[in-house]
Amino acid sequence: MTTTTSRIATPVRAVGGFFAMCLDTLVLMFRPPWAWREFLLQAWFVARVSIVPTAFLAIPIVVLGTYTLNVLFIEFGAADLSGTGVAFGTVTQGGPVVTVLVISGAAATAMCADLGARTIREEIDAMRVLGINPIQALVVPRVLAATVVAVLLTSVVSMVGITAAYFFSISLQHITPGAFVAGLPLLVGVPEVVIALIKSALFGLAAGLIACHKGLTVGGGPAGVGTAVNETVVYSFLALFVINVVVTAVGVKATL
Amino acid sequence: MTRSVPSTLHPGLRQPVADAVESWNRLGRQARFYAETIGGVGQAIGRYPGELLRLVAEMSLGVGALALIGGAIVVIGALTMSVGSLLAIQFFPQLQQVGVDALAGFTSALINTRYFGPIMVGIGVSATIGAGATAQLGAMRINEEIDALEAMSIRAVPYLCSTRLVAGAVVVTPLFAVAMLLAYIATQSLTTFVYGQSSGVYDHYFYTFLNPTDLLWSFLLAEIVGLLAMLVHTFYGYTASGGPAGVGEAVGRAVRTSMIVLCAVVLLMTIAVYGPSGNFHFSG
Repeated sequence: MTTTTSRIATPVRAVGGFFAMCLDTLVLMFRPPWAWREFLLQAWFVARVSIVPTAFLAIPIVVLGTYTLNVLFIEFGAADLSGTGVAFGTVTQGGPVVTVLVISGAAATAMCADLGARTIREEIDAMRVLGINPIQALVVPRVLAATVVAVLLTSVVSMVGITAAYFFSISLQHITPGAFVAGLPLLVGVPEVVIALIKSALFGLAAGLIACHKGLTVGGGPAGVGTAVNETVVYSFLALFVINVVVTAVGVKATL
Repeated sequence: MTRSVPSTLHPGLRQPVADAVESWNRLGRQARFYAETIGGVGQAIGRYPGELLRLVAEMSLGVGALALIGGAIVVIGALTMSVGSLLAIQFFPQLQQVGVDALAGFTSALINTRYFGPIMVGIGVSATIGAGATAQLGAMRINEEIDALEAMSIRAVPYLCSTRLVAGAVVVTPLFAVAMLLAYIATQSLTTFVYGQSSGVYDHYFYTFLNPTDLLWSFLLAEIVGLLAMLVHTFYGYTASGGPAGVGEAVGRAVRTSMIVLCAVVLLMTIAVYGPSGNFHFSG
Protein backbone atom coordinates (compact mmCIF):
# COMPACT_ATOMS: atom_id res chain seq x y z
CA MET A 1 0.00 0.00 0.00
CA THR A 2 2.68 2.47 1.00
CA THR A 3 4.80 1.57 -2.02
CA THR A 4 1.86 2.18 -4.36
CA THR A 5 1.16 5.54 -2.75
CA SER A 6 4.79 6.61 -2.98
CA ARG A 7 5.00 5.45 -6.59
CA ILE A 8 2.15 7.76 -7.47
CA ALA A 9 3.22 10.52 -5.09
CA THR A 10 6.85 10.80 -6.25
CA PRO A 11 6.23 12.18 -9.76
CA VAL A 12 3.40 14.38 -8.52
CA ARG A 13 5.67 15.82 -5.82
CA ALA A 14 8.42 16.37 -8.39
CA VAL A 15 6.05 18.34 -10.63
CA GLY A 16 4.74 20.27 -7.64
CA GLY A 17 8.27 21.05 -6.49
CA PHE A 18 9.14 22.32 -9.97
CA PHE A 19 6.17 24.67 -10.08
CA ALA A 20 6.85 25.86 -6.53
CA MET A 21 10.40 26.73 -7.55
CA CYS A 22 9.16 28.53 -10.69
CA LEU A 23 6.79 30.63 -8.57
CA ASP A 24 9.52 31.44 -6.07
CA THR A 25 11.83 32.44 -8.90
CA LEU A 26 9.21 34.67 -10.55
CA VAL A 27 8.40 36.40 -7.27
CA LEU A 28 12.02 36.88 -6.21
CA MET A 29 12.97 38.16 -9.66
CA PHE A 30 11.39 41.52 -8.81
CA ARG A 31 12.51 41.79 -5.23
CA PRO A 32 15.86 43.23 -4.08
CA PRO A 33 18.63 42.45 -3.31
CA TRP A 34 19.46 41.49 -6.89
CA ALA A 35 22.49 39.32 -7.48
CA TRP A 36 23.99 41.50 -10.21
CA ARG A 37 27.48 40.08 -10.07
CA GLU A 38 26.23 36.49 -10.29
CA PHE A 39 23.96 37.48 -13.18
CA LEU A 40 26.83 39.02 -15.15
CA LEU A 41 29.13 36.07 -14.45
CA GLN A 42 26.44 33.57 -15.46
CA ALA A 43 25.52 35.49 -18.62
CA TRP A 44 29.17 35.58 -19.61
CA PHE A 45 29.51 31.87 -18.80
CA VAL A 46 26.42 30.86 -20.80
CA ALA A 47 27.52 32.97 -23.76
CA ARG A 48 31.02 31.49 -23.60
CA VAL A 49 29.89 27.84 -23.64
CA SER A 50 27.19 28.46 -26.25
CA ILE A 51 28.74 30.64 -28.91
CA VAL A 52 30.94 28.06 -30.65
CA PRO A 53 28.33 25.22 -30.67
CA THR A 54 25.81 27.78 -31.96
CA ALA A 55 27.90 28.61 -34.98
CA PHE A 56 28.74 24.96 -35.64
CA LEU A 57 25.08 23.90 -35.36
CA ALA A 58 23.57 26.85 -37.21
CA ILE A 59 25.59 26.29 -40.37
CA PRO A 60 24.67 22.63 -41.07
CA ILE A 61 21.01 22.96 -40.04
CA VAL A 62 20.33 26.10 -42.06
CA VAL A 63 22.33 24.84 -45.05
CA LEU A 64 20.35 21.59 -44.97
CA GLY A 65 17.09 23.55 -45.02
CA THR A 66 18.40 25.81 -47.78
CA TYR A 67 19.42 22.84 -49.87
CA THR A 68 15.91 21.35 -49.63
CA LEU A 69 14.18 24.64 -50.33
CA ASN A 70 16.38 25.42 -53.31
CA VAL A 71 15.80 21.96 -54.78
CA LEU A 72 12.06 22.54 -54.50
CA PHE A 73 12.22 26.09 -55.86
CA ILE A 74 14.37 25.08 -58.82
CA GLU A 75 11.92 22.26 -59.57
CA PHE A 76 9.01 24.74 -59.52
CA GLY A 77 10.99 27.25 -61.58
CA ALA A 78 11.02 29.80 -58.78
CA ALA A 79 14.74 29.85 -57.96
CA ASP A 80 14.63 33.63 -57.50
CA LEU A 81 12.53 33.15 -54.37
CA SER A 82 15.34 31.19 -52.69
CA GLY A 83 16.36 34.11 -50.47
CA THR A 84 12.78 34.59 -49.30
CA GLY A 85 12.42 30.96 -48.29
CA VAL A 86 15.79 30.92 -46.55
CA ALA A 87 15.09 34.07 -44.54
CA PHE A 88 11.63 32.84 -43.56
CA GLY A 89 12.82 29.36 -42.57
CA THR A 90 15.85 30.61 -40.67
CA VAL A 91 14.14 33.36 -38.71
CA THR A 92 10.94 31.48 -37.86
CA GLN A 93 12.27 27.94 -37.31
CA GLY A 94 16.03 27.55 -37.78
CA GLY A 95 17.06 30.22 -35.29
CA PRO A 96 14.78 29.13 -32.44
CA VAL A 97 15.45 25.40 -32.97
CA VAL A 98 19.23 25.82 -32.96
CA THR A 99 18.86 27.99 -29.87
CA VAL A 100 16.86 25.19 -28.21
CA LEU A 101 19.54 22.62 -28.95
CA VAL A 102 22.39 24.84 -27.77
CA ILE A 103 20.69 26.24 -24.68
CA SER A 104 19.59 22.84 -23.42
CA GLY A 105 22.66 20.93 -24.66
CA ALA A 106 25.35 23.40 -23.61
CA ALA A 107 24.05 25.92 -21.08
CA ALA A 108 21.44 23.94 -19.13
CA THR A 109 23.68 20.89 -18.71
CA ALA A 110 26.55 22.99 -17.38
CA MET A 111 24.22 24.82 -14.97
CA CYS A 112 22.69 21.58 -13.71
CA ALA A 113 26.12 19.98 -13.25
CA ASP A 114 27.35 23.00 -11.28
CA LEU A 115 24.31 23.26 -9.00
CA GLY A 116 24.09 19.46 -8.63
CA ALA A 117 27.69 19.23 -7.46
CA ARG A 118 27.03 22.02 -4.93
CA THR A 119 23.90 20.23 -3.72
CA ILE A 120 25.58 16.91 -3.02
CA ARG A 121 28.46 18.68 -1.28
CA GLU A 122 25.77 20.30 0.91
CA GLU A 123 26.89 23.80 -0.08
CA ILE A 124 23.26 24.75 -0.79
CA ASP A 125 22.23 23.65 2.72
CA ALA A 126 25.13 25.68 4.11
CA MET A 127 23.81 28.76 2.27
CA ARG A 128 20.37 28.22 3.79
CA VAL A 129 21.95 27.99 7.24
CA LEU A 130 23.74 31.29 6.60
CA GLY A 131 20.37 32.88 5.84
CA ILE A 132 20.96 33.21 2.10
CA ASN A 133 18.06 32.11 -0.09
CA PRO A 134 19.61 29.91 -2.82
CA ILE A 135 16.73 30.73 -5.18
CA GLN A 136 17.49 34.44 -4.90
CA ALA A 137 21.26 34.11 -4.94
CA LEU A 138 21.71 31.31 -7.49
CA VAL A 139 18.54 30.44 -9.41
CA VAL A 140 17.23 33.90 -10.35
CA PRO A 141 20.51 35.13 -11.90
CA ARG A 142 20.95 31.84 -13.79
CA VAL A 143 17.43 31.82 -15.20
CA LEU A 144 17.69 35.48 -16.24
CA ALA A 145 21.13 34.89 -17.78
CA ALA A 146 19.81 31.94 -19.82
CA THR A 147 16.86 34.04 -21.00
CA VAL A 148 18.96 37.03 -22.07
CA VAL A 149 21.62 34.95 -23.78
CA ALA A 150 19.00 32.85 -25.60
CA VAL A 151 17.53 36.02 -27.13
CA LEU A 152 20.99 37.16 -28.21
CA LEU A 153 21.85 33.72 -29.61
CA THR A 154 18.81 33.71 -31.93
CA SER A 155 20.15 36.78 -33.69
CA VAL A 156 23.57 35.16 -34.01
CA VAL A 157 22.00 32.01 -35.47
CA SER A 158 19.97 34.00 -37.99
CA MET A 159 22.99 36.03 -39.11
CA VAL A 160 25.37 33.07 -39.34
CA GLY A 161 22.74 30.86 -40.95
CA ILE A 162 21.64 33.31 -43.64
CA THR A 163 25.25 34.15 -44.50
CA ALA A 164 26.15 30.46 -44.80
CA ALA A 165 22.99 29.80 -46.84
CA TYR A 166 23.89 32.68 -49.18
CA PHE A 167 27.31 31.28 -49.99
CA PHE A 168 25.97 27.72 -50.28
CA SER A 169 23.17 28.75 -52.63
CA ILE A 170 25.20 30.91 -54.98
CA SER A 171 28.23 28.63 -55.19
CA LEU A 172 26.70 25.13 -55.23
CA GLN A 173 23.15 25.61 -56.51
CA HIS A 174 23.74 28.56 -58.87
CA ILE A 175 21.14 30.93 -57.43
CA THR A 176 21.48 34.56 -58.60
CA PRO A 177 23.11 36.51 -55.72
CA GLY A 178 21.11 39.70 -56.37
CA ALA A 179 17.78 37.87 -56.42
CA PHE A 180 18.71 36.03 -53.21
CA VAL A 181 19.47 39.25 -51.33
CA ALA A 182 16.47 41.09 -52.79
CA GLY A 183 14.15 38.29 -51.67
CA LEU A 184 15.31 38.25 -48.04
CA PRO A 185 12.85 40.80 -46.55
CA LEU A 186 9.86 39.70 -48.65
CA LEU A 187 8.14 37.49 -46.07
CA VAL A 188 10.08 38.33 -42.91
CA GLY A 189 9.04 41.55 -41.24
CA VAL A 190 9.11 42.91 -37.72
CA PRO A 191 6.32 40.56 -36.46
CA GLU A 192 8.24 37.42 -37.46
CA VAL A 193 11.44 38.66 -35.83
CA VAL A 194 9.59 39.65 -32.65
CA ILE A 195 7.92 36.21 -32.47
CA ALA A 196 11.30 34.53 -32.92
CA LEU A 197 12.77 36.60 -30.09
CA ILE A 198 9.78 35.84 -27.80
CA LYS A 199 10.20 32.15 -28.59
CA SER A 200 13.86 32.13 -27.66
CA ALA A 201 13.23 34.11 -24.48
CA LEU A 202 10.69 31.44 -23.46
CA PHE A 203 13.21 28.69 -24.35
CA GLY A 204 15.89 30.29 -22.18
CA LEU A 205 13.46 30.72 -19.30
CA ALA A 206 12.19 27.14 -19.45
CA ALA A 207 15.65 25.59 -19.88
CA GLY A 208 17.08 27.65 -17.03
CA LEU A 209 14.23 26.71 -14.68
CA ILE A 210 14.45 22.99 -15.53
CA ALA A 211 18.24 22.96 -15.13
CA CYS A 212 18.13 24.76 -11.77
CA HIS A 213 15.33 22.56 -10.43
CA LYS A 214 17.12 19.36 -11.45
CA GLY A 215 20.38 20.69 -10.03
CA LEU A 216 18.88 21.61 -6.66
CA THR A 217 17.08 18.26 -6.23
CA VAL A 218 20.04 15.96 -6.97
CA GLY A 219 20.53 12.96 -4.70
CA GLY A 220 22.89 10.02 -4.63
CA GLY A 221 26.47 10.99 -5.35
CA PRO A 222 28.25 11.36 -8.72
CA ALA A 223 25.82 8.99 -10.47
CA GLY A 224 22.99 11.23 -9.27
CA VAL A 225 24.57 14.33 -10.86
CA GLY A 226 25.04 12.49 -14.17
CA THR A 227 21.44 11.28 -14.14
CA ALA A 228 20.17 14.76 -13.25
CA VAL A 229 22.04 16.26 -16.21
CA ASN A 230 20.62 13.54 -18.46
CA GLU A 231 17.09 14.32 -17.25
CA THR A 232 17.71 18.03 -17.77
CA VAL A 233 18.55 17.41 -21.43
CA VAL A 234 15.50 15.21 -21.99
CA TYR A 235 12.97 17.38 -20.18
CA SER A 236 14.23 20.63 -21.65
CA PHE A 237 14.15 19.17 -25.19
CA LEU A 238 10.58 18.00 -24.65
CA ALA A 239 9.47 21.29 -23.07
CA LEU A 240 11.15 23.40 -25.70
CA PHE A 241 9.76 21.51 -28.69
CA VAL A 242 6.28 21.76 -27.21
CA ILE A 243 6.76 25.52 -26.62
CA ASN A 244 7.95 25.84 -30.21
CA VAL A 245 4.82 24.17 -31.61
CA VAL A 246 2.47 26.28 -29.48
CA VAL A 247 4.18 29.63 -30.11
CA THR A 248 4.52 28.87 -33.83
CA ALA A 249 0.80 28.11 -34.07
CA VAL A 250 -0.07 31.34 -32.23
CA GLY A 251 2.43 33.30 -34.30
CA VAL A 252 1.14 32.00 -37.64
CA LYS A 253 -2.41 32.91 -36.62
CA ALA A 254 -1.29 36.35 -35.45
CA THR A 255 0.75 37.31 -38.50
CA LEU A 256 -1.37 35.96 -41.34
CA MET B 1 56.54 29.78 2.36
CA THR B 2 57.16 30.98 -1.16
CA ARG B 3 58.65 28.93 -3.90
CA SER B 4 60.24 30.47 -6.93
CA VAL B 5 60.09 28.86 -10.35
CA PRO B 6 62.56 29.89 -13.03
CA SER B 7 60.79 31.79 -15.82
CA THR B 8 60.47 29.99 -19.14
CA LEU B 9 61.68 31.17 -22.52
CA HIS B 10 58.97 32.78 -24.70
CA PRO B 11 56.04 32.20 -22.31
CA GLY B 12 53.62 33.97 -24.67
CA LEU B 13 54.45 31.57 -27.46
CA ARG B 14 54.59 28.43 -25.35
CA GLN B 15 50.98 28.57 -24.17
CA PRO B 16 49.26 28.48 -27.60
CA VAL B 17 51.71 25.87 -28.84
CA ALA B 18 51.01 23.69 -25.80
CA ASP B 19 47.25 24.16 -26.33
CA ALA B 20 47.52 23.19 -29.99
CA VAL B 21 49.57 20.09 -29.15
CA GLU B 22 47.10 19.15 -26.42
CA SER B 23 44.06 19.41 -28.71
CA TRP B 24 45.91 17.40 -31.37
CA ASN B 25 46.70 14.73 -28.78
CA ARG B 26 43.09 14.72 -27.59
CA LEU B 27 41.96 14.03 -31.15
CA GLY B 28 44.44 11.16 -31.27
CA ARG B 29 43.18 9.72 -27.99
CA GLN B 30 39.60 9.92 -29.25
CA ALA B 31 40.52 8.18 -32.51
CA ARG B 32 42.32 5.41 -30.63
CA PHE B 33 39.38 4.95 -28.28
CA TYR B 34 36.93 4.74 -31.20
CA ALA B 35 39.13 2.18 -32.95
CA GLU B 36 39.34 0.13 -29.73
CA THR B 37 35.57 0.30 -29.20
CA ILE B 38 34.75 -0.74 -32.75
CA GLY B 39 37.42 -3.45 -32.58
CA GLY B 40 35.84 -4.79 -29.41
CA VAL B 41 32.42 -5.34 -30.99
CA GLY B 42 33.18 -8.98 -31.77
CA GLN B 43 34.23 -9.64 -28.19
CA ALA B 44 31.20 -7.83 -26.86
CA ILE B 45 28.82 -10.05 -28.85
CA GLY B 46 30.78 -13.24 -28.23
CA ARG B 47 31.69 -12.89 -24.58
CA TYR B 48 29.14 -10.61 -22.99
CA PRO B 49 25.74 -11.48 -24.52
CA GLY B 50 24.02 -11.20 -21.13
CA GLU B 51 25.28 -7.67 -20.57
CA LEU B 52 24.31 -6.81 -24.15
CA LEU B 53 20.70 -7.95 -23.66
CA ARG B 54 20.44 -6.10 -20.37
CA LEU B 55 21.64 -2.90 -22.06
CA VAL B 56 19.20 -3.27 -24.96
CA ALA B 57 16.31 -3.56 -22.52
CA GLU B 58 17.58 -0.69 -20.40
CA MET B 59 18.16 1.64 -23.35
CA SER B 60 14.83 1.18 -25.07
CA LEU B 61 12.66 1.64 -21.99
CA GLY B 62 14.97 3.67 -19.78
CA VAL B 63 15.98 3.53 -16.13
CA GLY B 64 15.13 5.64 -13.11
CA ALA B 65 13.05 8.73 -13.69
CA LEU B 66 13.22 8.26 -17.47
CA ALA B 67 11.52 4.88 -17.20
CA LEU B 68 8.65 6.68 -15.52
CA ILE B 69 7.83 8.58 -18.70
CA GLY B 70 8.54 5.58 -20.94
CA GLY B 71 12.21 5.91 -21.86
CA ALA B 72 13.81 6.71 -25.19
CA ILE B 73 10.88 5.43 -27.28
CA VAL B 74 8.41 7.90 -25.77
CA VAL B 75 10.87 10.81 -25.79
CA ILE B 76 11.80 10.33 -29.44
CA GLY B 77 8.15 9.76 -30.32
CA ALA B 78 7.21 13.05 -28.66
CA LEU B 79 10.05 14.91 -30.40
CA THR B 80 9.14 13.65 -33.88
CA MET B 81 5.46 14.26 -33.24
CA SER B 82 6.20 17.86 -32.38
CA VAL B 83 8.34 18.44 -35.49
CA GLY B 84 5.72 16.67 -37.62
CA SER B 85 3.04 19.03 -36.33
CA LEU B 86 5.41 21.95 -36.79
CA LEU B 87 5.72 21.01 -40.44
CA ALA B 88 1.94 21.22 -40.87
CA ILE B 89 1.58 24.41 -38.79
CA GLN B 90 4.39 26.24 -40.53
CA PHE B 91 3.99 25.03 -44.11
CA PHE B 92 0.25 24.61 -44.64
CA PRO B 93 -0.67 28.32 -44.33
CA GLN B 94 2.25 29.21 -46.62
CA LEU B 95 1.21 26.65 -49.23
CA GLN B 96 -2.36 27.91 -48.96
CA GLN B 97 -1.22 31.47 -49.65
CA VAL B 98 0.48 30.38 -52.86
CA GLY B 99 -2.56 28.25 -53.70
CA VAL B 100 -0.83 24.86 -53.70
CA ASP B 101 -2.17 23.55 -50.38
CA ALA B 102 -2.80 20.20 -52.06
CA LEU B 103 0.95 19.62 -51.74
CA ALA B 104 0.84 19.25 -47.94
CA GLY B 105 1.18 15.47 -48.30
CA PHE B 106 4.17 15.98 -50.54
CA THR B 107 6.00 18.11 -47.93
CA SER B 108 5.41 15.39 -45.33
CA ALA B 109 6.67 12.62 -47.62
CA LEU B 110 9.78 14.58 -48.54
CA ILE B 111 10.80 16.52 -45.44
CA ASN B 112 9.72 14.11 -42.69
CA THR B 113 11.38 11.18 -44.42
CA ARG B 114 14.62 12.73 -45.52
CA TYR B 115 15.47 15.18 -42.76
CA PHE B 116 13.32 15.08 -39.66
CA GLY B 117 13.53 11.30 -39.21
CA PRO B 118 17.31 10.91 -39.03
CA ILE B 119 17.92 14.26 -37.27
CA MET B 120 15.29 13.63 -34.59
CA VAL B 121 16.43 10.04 -34.01
CA GLY B 122 20.00 11.32 -33.67
CA ILE B 123 19.02 14.09 -31.24
CA GLY B 124 16.81 11.72 -29.25
CA VAL B 125 19.47 9.01 -29.03
CA SER B 126 22.06 11.54 -27.94
CA ALA B 127 19.81 13.15 -25.31
CA THR B 128 18.37 9.97 -23.77
CA ILE B 129 20.49 6.88 -24.36
CA GLY B 130 23.76 8.66 -25.05
CA ALA B 131 23.63 11.12 -22.16
CA GLY B 132 22.56 8.25 -19.90
CA ALA B 133 25.57 6.19 -20.99
CA THR B 134 27.91 9.12 -20.35
CA ALA B 135 26.43 9.60 -16.88
CA GLN B 136 26.73 5.88 -16.03
CA LEU B 137 30.27 5.46 -17.36
CA GLY B 138 31.38 8.75 -15.80
CA ALA B 139 30.07 7.71 -12.41
CA MET B 140 31.84 4.35 -12.78
CA ARG B 141 35.08 6.15 -13.66
CA ILE B 142 34.78 8.56 -10.70
CA ASN B 143 34.02 5.69 -8.28
CA GLU B 144 37.04 3.78 -9.69
CA GLU B 145 34.76 0.95 -10.78
CA ILE B 146 36.38 0.89 -14.22
CA ASP B 147 39.80 0.43 -12.61
CA ALA B 148 38.29 -2.37 -10.53
CA LEU B 149 37.03 -4.08 -13.70
CA GLU B 150 40.51 -3.92 -15.17
CA ALA B 151 41.98 -5.26 -11.92
CA MET B 152 39.61 -8.25 -12.27
CA SER B 153 41.03 -8.66 -15.81
CA ILE B 154 37.75 -7.87 -17.52
CA ARG B 155 38.46 -5.87 -20.68
CA ALA B 156 36.78 -2.58 -19.80
CA VAL B 157 36.38 -1.13 -23.31
CA PRO B 158 34.62 -4.15 -24.89
CA TYR B 159 32.62 -4.84 -21.72
CA LEU B 160 31.39 -1.27 -21.18
CA CYS B 161 31.71 0.63 -24.45
CA SER B 162 31.43 -1.89 -27.29
CA THR B 163 28.37 -3.49 -25.68
CA ARG B 164 26.74 -0.04 -25.51
CA LEU B 165 27.63 0.60 -29.14
CA VAL B 166 26.01 -2.66 -30.27
CA ALA B 167 22.98 -2.13 -28.04
CA GLY B 168 22.58 1.38 -29.46
CA ALA B 169 22.64 0.01 -33.01
CA VAL B 170 19.95 -2.54 -32.11
CA VAL B 171 17.74 0.01 -30.35
CA VAL B 172 17.87 2.57 -33.19
CA THR B 173 15.80 0.25 -35.44
CA PRO B 174 12.54 0.32 -33.45
CA LEU B 175 13.17 3.95 -32.49
CA PHE B 176 13.39 4.93 -36.14
CA ALA B 177 10.17 3.08 -36.98
CA VAL B 178 8.28 4.78 -34.12
CA ALA B 179 9.76 8.17 -35.01
CA MET B 180 8.77 8.01 -38.68
CA LEU B 181 5.26 6.73 -37.97
CA LEU B 182 4.55 9.44 -35.41
CA ALA B 183 5.94 12.20 -37.64
CA TYR B 184 3.71 11.08 -40.54
CA ILE B 185 0.66 10.72 -38.30
CA ALA B 186 1.22 14.15 -36.71
CA THR B 187 1.49 15.98 -40.05
CA GLN B 188 -1.44 14.08 -41.53
CA SER B 189 -3.83 14.51 -38.62
CA LEU B 190 -3.08 18.23 -38.26
CA THR B 191 -3.50 18.82 -41.99
CA THR B 192 -6.71 16.85 -42.35
CA PHE B 193 -8.41 17.41 -38.98
CA VAL B 194 -7.29 20.90 -37.97
CA TYR B 195 -6.76 22.58 -41.34
CA GLY B 196 -9.58 20.60 -42.94
CA GLN B 197 -7.90 19.27 -46.07
CA SER B 198 -9.72 16.25 -47.50
CA SER B 199 -7.85 13.11 -46.56
CA GLY B 200 -8.02 11.73 -50.12
CA VAL B 201 -6.00 14.67 -51.49
CA TYR B 202 -3.49 14.35 -48.68
CA ASP B 203 -3.09 10.58 -49.11
CA HIS B 204 -2.75 10.86 -52.88
CA TYR B 205 0.16 13.30 -52.76
CA PHE B 206 1.70 11.61 -49.74
CA TYR B 207 1.82 8.14 -51.31
CA THR B 208 2.84 9.49 -54.73
CA PHE B 209 5.96 11.08 -53.33
CA LEU B 210 6.78 8.63 -50.54
CA ASN B 211 9.79 6.89 -52.01
CA PRO B 212 10.79 3.58 -50.35
CA THR B 213 14.44 4.13 -51.37
CA ASP B 214 14.43 7.44 -49.51
CA LEU B 215 13.09 5.68 -46.45
CA LEU B 216 15.89 3.10 -46.61
CA TRP B 217 18.55 5.80 -46.97
CA SER B 218 16.98 7.66 -44.09
CA PHE B 219 17.12 4.53 -41.94
CA LEU B 220 20.79 4.05 -42.83
CA LEU B 221 21.47 7.67 -41.94
CA ALA B 222 19.67 7.29 -38.60
CA GLU B 223 21.71 4.17 -37.85
CA ILE B 224 24.97 6.02 -38.66
CA VAL B 225 24.17 9.07 -36.53
CA GLY B 226 23.00 6.78 -33.70
CA LEU B 227 26.31 4.91 -33.75
CA LEU B 228 28.32 8.13 -33.89
CA ALA B 229 26.36 9.54 -30.96
CA MET B 230 27.02 6.35 -28.93
CA LEU B 231 30.76 6.52 -29.75
CA VAL B 232 31.05 10.17 -28.70
CA HIS B 233 29.01 9.65 -25.54
CA THR B 234 30.91 6.56 -24.37
CA PHE B 235 34.21 8.37 -24.95
CA TYR B 236 33.27 11.36 -22.80
CA GLY B 237 31.88 9.09 -20.07
CA TYR B 238 34.87 6.72 -20.13
CA THR B 239 37.35 9.59 -19.78
CA ALA B 240 35.39 11.70 -17.25
CA SER B 241 37.37 13.23 -14.41
CA GLY B 242 37.00 15.82 -11.68
CA GLY B 243 34.40 14.49 -9.26
CA PRO B 244 30.61 14.82 -9.47
CA ALA B 245 30.78 18.17 -11.29
CA GLY B 246 33.13 16.54 -13.80
CA VAL B 247 30.55 13.86 -14.60
CA GLY B 248 27.90 16.50 -15.21
CA GLU B 249 30.22 18.55 -17.39
CA ALA B 250 31.19 15.44 -19.36
CA VAL B 251 27.49 14.82 -20.11
CA GLY B 252 27.10 18.40 -21.34
CA ARG B 253 30.23 18.27 -23.47
CA ALA B 254 29.18 14.94 -24.97
CA VAL B 255 25.69 16.23 -25.88
CA ARG B 256 27.23 19.32 -27.48
CA THR B 257 29.81 17.38 -29.49
CA SER B 258 27.38 14.75 -30.70
CA MET B 259 24.84 17.41 -31.83
CA ILE B 260 27.51 19.11 -33.94
CA VAL B 261 28.77 15.81 -35.37
CA LEU B 262 25.20 14.70 -36.07
CA CYS B 263 24.18 17.83 -37.99
CA ALA B 264 27.39 17.89 -40.01
CA VAL B 265 27.07 14.19 -40.90
CA VAL B 266 23.39 14.50 -41.87
CA LEU B 267 24.17 17.48 -44.10
CA LEU B 268 27.11 15.83 -45.83
CA MET B 269 25.36 12.46 -46.21
CA THR B 270 22.21 14.11 -47.60
CA ILE B 271 24.15 16.00 -50.24
CA ALA B 272 26.20 12.87 -51.02
CA VAL B 273 23.12 10.62 -51.32
CA TYR B 274 20.67 12.89 -53.12
CA GLY B 275 23.13 15.05 -55.07
CA PRO B 276 22.86 18.79 -55.78
CA SER B 277 19.63 18.34 -57.77
CA GLY B 278 17.80 16.57 -54.93
CA ASN B 279 17.07 13.38 -56.87
CA PHE B 280 13.31 13.74 -57.04
CA HIS B 281 11.08 14.57 -59.94
CA PHE B 282 8.10 16.76 -59.36
CA SER B 283 7.34 17.94 -62.87
CA GLY B 284 7.92 14.53 -64.44
